Amino acid sequence: MKGSGIVGLSAGCVALIASVFALQGQVEAAGQRLKTGATEEPKQQVAIANDAEAPYCTPAFKQVLQRVLNACGLVGTDSRRGCQPADVKSLASISDDDFNALFTPLKDRGAVIMFDDGSEKLDEAGKKLIEDLWIDRRGARYFFVVARASKTGTPELNRALSHKRANSVHFDIGDKFPDPDLDKQVGMLWLGNEFAQLGPEYCQWNVSRDARKCAAEAINRSAFVSWVDCQL
Amino acid sequence: MSGAPTRWPAAVALAASLLGLTFAGLSSVDYTKHLDRQIHDVHCSYVPGLGAETSADNACRVAMYSPFAALFRDKYWGGVPIALFAVGSFCFFAAFALYLLLAGRAAPRRAPGFFALVSVTPLLASIVMGTISAVRLGHFCKVCVGIYVASTILAAAAIALFVLDRRATTTTPPVPKIARPPTASADKTLIDDEPYALSAEARAGELRPEGNWLLPLWAAALGLFTVTPALLYVSSLPSYSTYITSCGKLEKAATPADPLIHVSPAGAVQPATLFVDPLCPTCKAFHQRLATEGFLDKLDLTLVLFPLDNECNWMLDRAVHPGSCAVSKAILCSDHRAMQVLEWAYDNQEAILTAAKAAAGPANVRAMIAARYPGLDTCIDSKDTTLRLNKVLRYIVNNKLPVSTPQMFLGDTRLCDEDTDMGLSYTMRKLAPALEVK
Repeated sequence: MKGSGIVGLSAGCVALIASVFALQGQVEAAGQRLKTGATEEPKQQVAIANDAEAPYCTPAFKQVLQRVLNACGLVGTDSRRGCQPADVKSLASISDDDFNALFTPLKDRGAVIMFDDGSEKLDEAGKKLIEDLWIDRRGARYFFVVARASKTGTPELNRALSHKRANSVHFDIGDKFPDPDLDKQVGMLWLGNEFAQLGPEYCQWNVSRDARKCAAEAINRSAFVSWVDCQL
Repeated sequence: MSGAPTRWPAAVALAASLLGLTFAGLSSVDYTKHLDRQIHDVHCSYVPGLGAETSADNACRVAMYSPFAALFRDKYWGGVPIALFAVGSFCFFAAFALYLLLAGRAAPRRAPGFFALVSVTPLLASIVMGTISAVRLGHFCKVCVGIYVASTILAAAAIALFVLDRRATTTTPPVPKIARPPTASADKTLIDDEPYALSAEARAGELRPEGNWLLPLWAAALGLFTVTPALLYVSSLPSYSTYITSCGKLEKAATPADPLIHVSPAGAVQPATLFVDPLCPTCKAFHQRLATEGFLDKLDLTLVLFPLDNECNWMLDRAVHPGSCAVSKAILCSDHRAMQVLEWAYDNQEAILTAAKAAAGPANVRAMIAARYPGLDTCIDSKDTTLRLNKVLRYIVNNKLPVSTPQMFLGDTRLCDEDTDMGLSYTMRKLAPALEVK
C-alpha cells in the first residue's frame, strides 16, 4: 500500500509540476510579449477617420484651397470672412483660366446658382439647389461659394454685388441649417467682374435656371457652390 | 489478475483524469497566451490539440471572453481561469486513481469512498458550467465539453470503484476462526486455518486499514493540488496598470450641437462614450459583455453611431457591414427608444446582414426595419436624418478616431481594444472606480 501511495503521489506531483511549469512558461512569454509589444502577426494598420479625398484634389488645387482657407478666415482664429478679388489674385497666383480649371472637376459635385441682373436675391430654384447640395455633404469638410458678377457696371459695384451674392448663399444655408460652426465650413470668394470670369460653356453645368436662357453674361451673375472633398 | 474486478474502474478513472487534465491544460494555455492582450488562436475541438482558430465566433473564444471563464476578473487582468483549478484537481484525481489502481484492495477502506465523493465535484462544476453555456452563452465550447465528458467518466468510474469495493467487502466470507491446536501436538494433522481458495486479496481485505486518519490528508492534498496552479499563476501575472491607460483620449468632447444619442439609466454613475456599428458582430459581443458584467446600466452613455457602410460613410471604399447606414438612421429616428432599436439590430444582426447582401439589399433592410418599427420610414428618408448622421460621422473625424468599432471612452480615456474582452472587468474598475462590479 505504501509503495502504491508513493508512486501515486509522485506521479501526481510530477503531473502538477509539469503543468504548472508549462503554464508559467506561457505566462512569462505573454508578459514578455506584452513588454516588448512583439506580435505573432504584424498588426493591421487601421485607417484614421478623415475627410473625403476625391481624385480631383490635385496638389495645385489643394495649394490654392489651402491658401484661401488660411487667408479667408476658415482656418485659425481670424475673424475675417471671405476673400475678395485682389486677395484671390494674389493668393492663387495663377491665371484666370487656370483658376477656373481647378474647379472643373467639381462640375458634377457643385452647381451654379444664378441671380437676376444687379440682384443678390436668391430665387426658389436657387434655394432648392443650395439645400440639395448642402445635404449631399458626404465626407467634405469645406463648402465653397465663389460669387461673381457680370461685366456690366463698375468693378467696385460688381465687387460689392458679388460679395452680397456670396453672403446670400451663406445666410440661406445658415437659416436652413443652423450650426455654430458654419463659418468654419463655408469658404466665400467674391470675384466681382475682375477675375476668373466664366465662359458660356459653364451653362452646361448644373445651373439653377433654365440652361437655354444662359449666356456669357448671365453665367457670371452667379455663385458657384460646391462641397470640396479634399483633405486639407 | 488478482483483484481485477475493482481495478478496472481505477484504470478508467485514471484515463478520464488524464483526459480532463489535457483539455483543462489546453484551455489554460489558450487563456494564458492572451495575457499579452493580443488575439491568438484558440483550440476548439473534441480531439485534444486540434482545431486552433482565430475566428471571433469560435465558441471556445466566446466562452473564454465570457465572465464565467475566470474568477476575480475585476482584481486581475483576465482573472484567474477556472480551467487552472481543473488542471490542479485532475492532477490529484489522476494520482489518486493511479494509487487505487496499484494498491487494489490493499488500499485503505476509506479510499474508494473518498475518491467517489470528491470525484463528483468536477461533474457538479461541469453541470453548472454546462448550464451557463446553454443558458447564458448559447454556445458549447468543445474543449469545455471535453472537460465535462472527462468529469462525467471520472465520477462514474469512481462511483463504480466504490460500489464494487463495497460489494467485494460484503461478499468476502469472513475468515473462520478455527482454534489452532497447540503447535506442540506433534501427532495431530496440521490443518490450514483458512478456507480453501480464500484469496490473498481477501486476506489483504481482512487486514485493510480503515484509513480514517488519511481522510483529512487526502482532502488537504486535493485542496493543495487544486489551488497551486492558480496561486502560482496569480503570482506571476504581469502588471497592466501602464498599458490600460495608453490608448489615447477623446480630443473633442461632445457638445449640444453634436447630434449624439444619450442613454442615461437611473443608476448611471460613469460618463462614457461608445462608438458602435449596429451590424458589427464585435460591437454586439462587446455590448453583451457590458450587459452581462453589469456595466451597461451604470454608464451615462453617449452613443455614437459609426456605420461601416460606404452608403453613408465616406471613409470606406466598400461596405463592411452593408445595411448599417439604414439601421443607424432608424436608431437616430428612435429618440428615447434608440437603445431598444440598437439591441433589436444586434439580436437580428445575421438576418439583417444576410438581407442586405441579397439582391434587393437596402430595400430588404428597410423592409425589416419597417416590419419591426413601423412609422420610422419618413424620418429615415428625411434630409435632417441624413445631415444628423453626417454630423455624427464628422464628430468621429474631428476626434481623429480609428475607422473601427467598437470603441469606448470612459470619461475621456479610451478603453484599449485589447481590454474589451478578457480584461474588461479589471480595466473598467481601474479606469472607472465609480463602477461597482456586480
